[in-house]
Amino acid sequence: MVYPPAKPGGKGTVAVAGVTFQVRRGEIFGFLGPNGAGKTTTISILTTLLVATSGRATIEGVDVQADPEGVRRRLGLVFQRSTADEELTGRENMLIEAGFYGLSRGEIGNHVSDLLEQMDLSSAADKFVKSYSGGMRRRLELAVGMVHRPRLVFLDEPTLGLDPQGRAGFWRYIRSLRETKGLTVFMTTHYLDEADQLCDRIAVIDHGRIVASGTPSELKDGVGGDTLVVSTAAGAGDLTPLLRSLPGVTSVASNGATYRVKCSNGESLVPKTVIAAERAGIDIVGVTVLKPTLDEVFLHLTGHAYREEGDAPSTSPSHATDPGIVSRGK
Amino acid sequence: MAVPAFSLIYREYLRWIRAPTWVISGLMSPILYLLLFGQAFDLGRLIPPGTPANVLSNALSGAPNYFSYFAVGMVAFASVTAAMFSGAGIIFDKQLGILQRILSTPISRRAVFLSELTFRGMLTLIPAFLVVGFALLLAHVPGVAGLTVSSTVSVLGAAQFLAAAIVLSVAFTALFLSFGFAVQRVESYFGVVTILQLPILLTSNAMYPVSIMPAWLQYLVGFNPISLAVNVMRMSLFGTHGYAYPAGIYLLGLLAWAGLFVTLALVLASRALRSDVSPKGSALSQAIAE
Ligand SMILES: Nc1ncnc2c1ncn2[C@@H]1O[C@H](COP(=O)(O)OP(=O)(O)OP(=O)(O)O)[C@@H](O)[C@H]1O
Ligand SMILES: [Mg+2]
Repeated sequence: MVYPPAKPGGKGTVAVAGVTFQVRRGEIFGFLGPNGAGKTTTISILTTLLVATSGRATIEGVDVQADPEGVRRRLGLVFQRSTADEELTGRENMLIEAGFYGLSRGEIGNHVSDLLEQMDLSSAADKFVKSYSGGMRRRLELAVGMVHRPRLVFLDEPTLGLDPQGRAGFWRYIRSLRETKGLTVFMTTHYLDEADQLCDRIAVIDHGRIVASGTPSELKDGVGGDTLVVSTAAGAGDLTPLLRSLPGVTSVASNGATYRVKCSNGESLVPKTVIAAERAGIDIVGVTVLKPTLDEVFLHLTGHAYREEGDAPSTSPSHATDPGIVSRGK
Repeated sequence: MAVPAFSLIYREYLRWIRAPTWVISGLMSPILYLLLFGQAFDLGRLIPPGTPANVLSNALSGAPNYFSYFAVGMVAFASVTAAMFSGAGIIFDKQLGILQRILSTPISRRAVFLSELTFRGMLTLIPAFLVVGFALLLAHVPGVAGLTVSSTVSVLGAAQFLAAAIVLSVAFTALFLSFGFAVQRVESYFGVVTILQLPILLTSNAMYPVSIMPAWLQYLVGFNPISLAVNVMRMSLFGTHGYAYPAGIYLLGLLAWAGLFVTLALVLASRALRSDVSPKGSALSQAIAE
């Protein structure tokens, strides 16, 4: 996707290039990446709000360029920015949105009340949106995006600015819809713990390219497993050769009395380290196992200060048999 | 089943009914013109005593007095003034991302445009008819001039009056909607509107008789859509004496203007509502960029 130049004669912005992925039906798919990576642009293309300059995407087998209306009918969309009408009440916003899908108040009225309840907006439902707090607006945005009971939703930073209860409540709702209705979710978020807990699979995008994809645990394994932090008493001997000789250890870095040991299985290494050190007569003061987090994965893949030589970005298209979203982008 | 376009109209209606600023903004100028200008600027008083009565009546194309002649012009003026606000809402919808949300739903782009034209067009008729009522009322207030209808108004005449009012409002609503679709900033919109407002009004026969104008201006005035509508309206209230063409011809001319403006608005609206990023950038891609 190339955005045209702001000024005539200027250079256009290549926002997304070479984004290829598949999302299976009923899957929660996380699309992570730093600011400006191309997440919103990708969503805009998949939801027909932008026509890509090249490439192809299908949603439930429907081509987004050939049949944009068919695609629009199938999906729900929660924008990154707020789009509710301030002059109307929360309920009115939802009923009007439902009307755009041809649903009348009679058909959808109860569902609207349910959704407002789910989003903890019942008491504010008939107040004007201009009187809502930031988090209430966000929750309304979520409710509006889901009002026509889509089977597939695009959530662009859905929980931005929500308090922990709000986030937990929303994800509980999304999970239950996934379980009961087979909802497919394509989401972006900068809360990586959220992505870790929720997403079945994740793709990491940077500079408009997918740099890694897989399940959260695959991605975490990709950064080299656990880290064992071993502290020795002051004046104790050097543990490095001994640590290197233990099974599963991939690297050891030390800074005086503290050692950072990269290994595949941290817990099983703890007793081995303690016994080996005792035999060698080196006093250990503490051992901590650090599990990798998605934050580490993210920084590793996209934090340019952290990028090491030879870390070629890898793309691993999945082998889905029942594709919900297929994108072969440029 | 609900019709998606009704949902759009319902939204506009709710917004409008809660903030009826149009009462002030749309009616202020026409009412002031009726109460002050129309009362002060009585052309009839300039005519020396002893002049044959038909001199004035001919200049005013059959209207019984200047105020009645002028009041009909103000009916058209009121609807055109109201139409000038038609396009502003779209600009706000673009800026606030509301238009984008609407466009992510299956509602057709054409329905977005047509529901906007229908609703805004109907709104511009309200001040027009309030002006008619107000001017008629003034005729019963002692000491002030009011609108007096001189010929008996037939059903056909009333229908012509209504048709002229509707086509005029469609034409100008479409024109100003097209600016709303085309520009990105409210300032630019009202800039264009301010530039156009007086030339559109002053090159029409809404305020003064055509026969006293210089020939070049008469020529311009003849083509002005306001003049065409006002001709039809005056013919239905004061009779057809002194007009070069029958009312149907003026109505056709007005329809041609409406066709032109609606086409322009359709082109600009579909450009603003489409999803591809043209070299100039559609309104949509600019909205996403924000
Ligand atoms: N309408 C536009 N015109 C020109 N460039 C654009 C436009 N929209 C986005 N871009 C550029 O495209 C790139 C990707 O932007 P995008 O909004 O997709 O990022 P994002 O991943 O959603 O970021 P964030 O996490 O900040 O929301 C950025 O470099 C941005 O400046
Ligand atoms: Mg974004």
